[in-house]
Amino acid sequence: MSETNELYQQVILDHNRKPRNFKVLDHPTREQMGHNPLCGDELTVYLELEGDLSKEITFQGSGCAISKASASMMTVAVKGKTLAEAEILFEEFHRMVKGELDPETSPNHLGRLTILAGVREFPARVKCASLSWHTLHAALEGKTDPLLIKE
Amino acid sequence: MLSFVIDEIHPHDIGTILDQEGVAIRAGHHCAQPAMKFFGVPATARASFAFYNTKAEVDALVAAIAKVKQVFEI
Repeated sequence: MSETNELYQQVILDHNRKPRNFKVLDHPTREQMGHNPLCGDELTVYLELEGDLSKEITFQGSGCAISKASASMMTVAVKGKTLAEAEILFEEFHRMVKGELDPETSPNHLGRLTILAGVREFPARVKCASLSWHTLHAALEGKTDPLLIKE
Repeated sequence: MLSFVIDEIHPHDIGTILDQEGVAIRAGHHCAQPAMKFFGVPATARASFAFYNTKAEVDALVAAIAKVKQVFEI
């Protein structure tokens, strides 16, 4: 597979075209905005907690195909998980897109999120894939100020 | 200089695929956020031409843009 096709796989194009959980939550427990001023991508992650469980997780925003697909896939992966499990997914995903964790050889919990592993070949696009995850991470930490990504 | 957009494809996705096809352009807001706001776009793709560019390179750009549309199936 060429690097272009490795990056823009059907699953990613589908999530870009029809993002899942793409809506505002009326009464979120946590609401966090993430913004990358260098490229203009911005999104808001809404989280409804039930005890330690993420009962609902949705997002709204605009950006490139990679950032939108990554955010969409993140909501699918995190919904129903505990906060500790979501934090583990954040750590593993972040390491995967930076090329520090090879999902083929290292045990991980990423499941379908490994479809985004091709991003590691495109250093300029790593921040697109990780914006939603950094935003979720800030929400999990209980931050409220808008998150600015400049990496 | 040619600033352009393709409906439903973000300029950064255009830039990445063009790069893979060997065509270097700039994508983003080009330090001109008020102009982007005026035109109602998040960013644009921008190809710049100089005296040393050949017709073959322009053809390569056109072919690469066709590849972008093929990848995104539009």
